[in-house]
Amino acid sequence: MKPRRPLLRMVSDRLHIGLGSAVVALLCYGSLMVWTATISMVAHNALVQRQFIGIALGSLFLIGAWLVDYTQYKSWTGPLMILLSALILSPRIPGLGSTTSGATSWLQVAGIRLFQPSEPAKLLFIVVMAAVVAEYGGKIEKFKDVARVAGYAAVPFVLILLQPDLGTGLVFIMISLGMLLIGGLRPRWFLVLALSGVVLVGVVFGANEVLNRTLQRGPYDPGYAAAAAAAASSAGADAVQEVKDTSVLIKAYQVNRLLVFINPALDPRGAGYNLAQSKIAIGSGGMSGTGLAAGTQSRFNFIPEPHTDFIFSVLGEQFGFIGAITLLALYLALLAATLSISASSRDLYGALIAAGLLSMWIFQVLENVGMTVGIMPVTGIPLPFMSYGSSFMVTNLAGVGILLSIWSRRYGTGL
Amino acid sequence: MTTFREQLKGRFAVLGVVVIVLLGVLAARLWSMQVLSSSQYVTAAEKNSTREVSLPAPRGRILDVKGRPLVTNQPVMTVTAPSSIAQDTTLVARLSAAIDVTVEDILSKLASFKQERLAPRVLRTDVPLATAAYLSEHAADFPGVEVQEAAVRDYPLGSLAAHVLGYTGEVSEDQLAASKLLDASASMGDIVGKTGIESYYDAVLQGEKGFRRFEVDNQGHMRSVLAEGAPRPGKDVRLTIDKDVQAVAEKALADAITEAHRQGFTNAHAGAAVVLDIKTGAVVAMASIPTYDPAKFLGGVSAADWKALNDPASEYPLNNRAIMAAYAPASTFKSIVAMAGLQAGITTPGTTYFCPGRWVGFGTQWAKWCWLHTGHGHLTLMNGIIRSCDSVFYELGKRFYETPGEKLQAFARTIGLGARLGIDLSGEVSGRVPDAAWKKEFNKDYPEYQQWVPGDTVNMSIGQGDLLVTPLQLASAYATLGNGGLVIRPHVLDAVLGSDGTPSITASTTVSIDATLSASNLRSVRNALVGVTTIGTSKGAFRGFPISVAGKTGTAQVNGKDDYALFACYAPAASPRYAISVVIEQGGHGGSVAAPAARQIMSKLFGVKYSAIHTTDVSR
Repeated sequence: MKPRRPLLRMVSDRLHIGLGSAVVALLCYGSLMVWTATISMVAHNALVQRQFIGIALGSLFLIGAWLVDYTQYKSWTGPLMILLSALILSPRIPGLGSTTSGATSWLQVAGIRLFQPSEPAKLLFIVVMAAVVAEYGGKIEKFKDVARVAGYAAVPFVLILLQPDLGTGLVFIMISLGMLLIGGLRPRWFLVLALSGVVLVGVVFGANEVLNRTLQRGPYDPGYAAAAAAAASSAGADAVQEVKDTSVLIKAYQVNRLLVFINPALDPRGAGYNLAQSKIAIGSGGMSGTGLAAGTQSRFNFIPEPHTDFIFSVLGEQFGFIGAITLLALYLALLAATLSISASSRDLYGALIAAGLLSMWIFQVLENVGMTVGIMPVTGIPLPFMSYGSSFMVTNLAGVGILLSIWSRRYGTGL
Repeated sequence: MTTFREQLKGRFAVLGVVVIVLLGVLAARLWSMQVLSSSQYVTAAEKNSTREVSLPAPRGRILDVKGRPLVTNQPVMTVTAPSSIAQDTTLVARLSAAIDVTVEDILSKLASFKQERLAPRVLRTDVPLATAAYLSEHAADFPGVEVQEAAVRDYPLGSLAAHVLGYTGEVSEDQLAASKLLDASASMGDIVGKTGIESYYDAVLQGEKGFRRFEVDNQGHMRSVLAEGAPRPGKDVRLTIDKDVQAVAEKALADAITEAHRQGFTNAHAGAAVVLDIKTGAVVAMASIPTYDPAKFLGGVSAADWKALNDPASEYPLNNRAIMAAYAPASTFKSIVAMAGLQAGITTPGTTYFCPGRWVGFGTQWAKWCWLHTGHGHLTLMNGIIRSCDSVFYELGKRFYETPGEKLQAFARTIGLGARLGIDLSGEVSGRVPDAAWKKEFNKDYPEYQQWVPGDTVNMSIGQGDLLVTPLQLASAYATLGNGGLVIRPHVLDAVLGSDGTPSITASTTVSIDATLSASNLRSVRNALVGVTTIGTSKGAFRGFPISVAGKTGTAQVNGKDDYALFACYAPAASPRYAISVVIEQGGHGGSVAAPAARQIMSKLFGVKYSAIHTTDVSR
């Protein structure tokens, strides 16, 4: 019989207090925001209920991931890679997929929506990439090695771009960069990757434009142009998404969003509208905000997607600068805890997983909050632990579970 | 284990710095938006969600002198819809069938920029109750469509006094600009008075608009009312018009037209009559034919109606001829010429003149005919008025020409001719008293016609030539003769009534000119004017009339047209109360067409039984 250790010690050994309290605080804050953001919606009660179900389900995954020794995943890299690709491709399989409003892809069976496969894919991507990067023992120098790592990353990345889901694609890139940093990629290789990235983006956009023109597809499709003009005159540019888009590589609305991000004045009532309304909401919140469930921007539906993508706009209006800074402080606590777990990992593999999660979260926070304040382009990336959405919630909580697994095993494999 | 941690230390630090920098960027951006420039976003948020519309105030009523309503408001059911429904073609089609307005008309009304942006557009103003009930019951099928009760002008007496009352319509761009200048609160789509009393006293009738400030959602639907100010109804105005006398005046004009037709003057279609209280200047009746129905302007006059109302063949029914048309006064002016001569001392009541029928006062090459070609022979100035002898007044005109100082013109102006009398109706014209200066200016491009010649004064002396008076001026001039020499500003408003119905503002009597007529001269001319109705050119028209009337007939020659029939008078002759003028365009002779109309009106004024008069008059 082992000697009994003090209870507090037992808990602190296995549970990272900083991570735990940051996550619990974020979940409480998020639930409150989902409640107030949906307050004027018909489905208010159902949405709040489903948010709690998402948290409960996520907690089960969290506990599961906590209990499993994360090093076990290493030997499953091959099958996990196949599962990852299958998840990304699944919405494309007839009978299994469902696509709504552009690119939000769902896995559905017999007409019942299960989850958005791109969310768990992010987690799988981290686990798979950690194993690949860890092989090099913290030093990636040779071209051959860089090429192999990049190849592993490229498979899911290209697949996700085909969805097309630019936002998730960017998340994959940021995860890769964070892990490569910890994994020991030499600085000059970062430079090379950045340059080739810029060239690639230029080539893709250029090719898209040229192909669209020559083949009369997308915006150059006579049918599209007419329908888009009709839709724009009535309901703003969002309706253009409903028009059948035959673009070759990149959907017209994605190009539009980027153009409007560069110059919002291009389309003040259409694609620029969401951004303008979000900025008005956050700016008008002032120092302390309008108060819970108050604020004309959120109450009177001026904020688009107030409980998902633009939940931060609601927060900014109702709780002001103080509320927003509080949230950023909570994220800082979450990320600091993640970094500390990464740094105290027993092995490089665990450190890489934690670094991947950290990169995913910091990028998602930057992108989501940045989008609502107009310093990042509008993409469909939600705010971790805050936005409504069960797939997203479960993924993030499972990630927390993995972190706790790493933390619990920092001295050895036993739990 | 420690080795790999040591190795990674720097990399963790980089990651940590990246996290702090990125969160710092977000925090800085939030500080800039929420603390430094928050006010601009607060303004934008308010602009987003706050709307204000004005609530129309019911217009004041217009009453006659005895408080009987001439113009009131009636509640009607109006159908309104927000402009956004234009996109829903099936809804517009369904609505078109329900309210019986074409799809094109609905769309053009929805697209109207004449109203405040968020104000619902009025699609139809007078839907039957059944339609209103149908729309209410099927509200779910007609989202956004509302049935509202609104007040619109109601004309219980139809077109009675239409020219005095005027009509209403949507404020014009010009009126809007004028209102802005006065810092008034008119805005597009407001209903304002366009003509007549409705226009002149618009500020009183209009009332004060209320407002409603409310919050809207992103669809523009009202969510909550922030503040509301109830409209203040416009004030009622009481006119000097007596609706019974007005009705008779209009009937008299119509009968006179019929009589003119009977006498062979079939081009007679238009005319005017004015009844003044000679002591106060109050307009008891003011009629102009042809007339129009002011109700046609409710909810916007239709293009077809507007075209018809402005068609030359219709003789311009919108014009109030009593103040907007100026006519040659013809022989009705002779009493004024005689008065002017007496006042100037160039003639006396007993001065005898000779009428040979063909007057050669300026030599045979300038011979002029009296209307009675056989001649009146010897007759006094006073008989000249009674017989309406042209030669007497040719002779007097010659004297006026020979007397320096344009004394005839000066006197004409002294009794209120040649200038606006200042009645409280818009559109009054000034008429014309011609003189040498006027002629020079008028013919500035025709040097050969610039010289004032003796014939000009002589023509003017029989009320012809370039002299023009409005029916109102004619009545006013006879009122001046009747009241002893005062030119009183005519007015239609009697009082503005407060909310309790008692007068808050009362019209006062304003003497604009005192002509200082000598009592003996006045007595002579008055006696002559009574002679006109007893033994002179209008004795037929007043045969058997129990009230003594002092009046003068006139038959004006108008180039290319039939003669215009005129009559001006005041009564009772002994203690005058009312002055009347009647003009019938192309109606023939004053004594047989215009004078009977005046008698018809006086019958009502003095409560005398009236029966139609058919008489003759060959004078001019």
